[in-house]
Amino acid sequence: MVEDRILVWKFNRGAKDALKRIYEKYKDDLLGLAVTLLRDRSVAEDVVHDVFVSFARSCGAFRLSGTLKGYLSTCVANEARDRNRLRSGRDAALDAAEAVSSYSAGPAEHAMGCEESDKLHELLGRLPYEQREIIVLHLHHGMRFREIAKVLRVSINTVQSRYRYGLDKLRSIVNGEVTK
Amino acid sequence: MRLTENIEKFIRSRKPHTVTGSDTDRRILHDSFAAMDETIHAKSADAKPNTCKVIVQSRMTKIAAAAVIVVVIGFAVHQVSREQTDGQTPSEATKSPAEMLTYASLTVAYRQGGFEEVEKQCEQAFELLGPRPEALSPQQLLAEFNGS
Repeated sequence: MVEDRILVWKFNRGAKDALKRIYEKYKDDLLGLAVTLLRDRSVAEDVVHDVFVSFARSCGAFRLSGTLKGYLSTCVANEARDRNRLRSGRDAALDAAEAVSSYSAGPAEHAMGCEESDKLHELLGRLPYEQREIIVLHLHHGMRFREIAKVLRVSINTVQSRYRYGLDKLRSIVNGEVTK
Repeated sequence: MRLTENIEKFIRSRKPHTVTGSDTDRRILHDSFAAMDETIHAKSADAKPNTCKVIVQSRMTKIAAAAVIVVVIGFAVHQVSREQTDGQTPSEATKSPAEMLTYASLTVAYRQGGFEEVEKQCEQAFELLGPRPEALSPQQLLAEFNGS
């Protein structure tokens, strides 16, 4: 997008307004991605924090090859994966209910939250991280399988199969709940 | 059930709308600006002109630097060789007095500069031979040159 190119150009010349505008433009999307991937709001905020600080350090030398949103989403996904690896060793038995409760910012947002969105979040939370990551990046952030494969450094076939297995698992979970 | 059939559509349509808190925004922007300032200060400190860096960074400057080096070396070599042969004719630098006075050598000198060059070459040959003894007669001198 032209606006993003202009913002990056200004950012590379040290304009703080440009960095602020970039943050305000993409913060909610990026936090949403991190929350969906990690299922922990405070960790997700740390991820977005680290991504933006790291992005700010690239001032003057940042070169945008694709879209800015795609670049930042990739950074968040990479950072979230690292955090997930660290966390999986510590508290692998994270309760799904606890995770859902930490999803919302507060009581007000919780009250406003859509029941179906909570349901989806809970369903996604039951998937393995690798499958959840691909489903979210593809369906929520519009990334192509080829792009995801490049980010994850796996083959496109692996990405497609993880995606398929993830959807199959979601279907079976929903079917199981319906037949109860 | 609709959900199981259209699971992709369902997930796509239920993108979570997460809003960051104002404290989070403040913290992230504050730290990002600080990181940005650090980077800018570090770069401005490193930005002192460094000729080697400038040459290495661009292909054009590399080529230009190589060309300048070649020209300087060529000029230096030329100057040195010129200083060595300064004030000497080519025949003088390479030939002995006897060779300088041969028919072929004098013909070459005539072609190069006429009688003046022939005379100059002869004088140089005689200078190299050294002073003539007072007692030496023209007959003896000719005999010496003729080798008899």
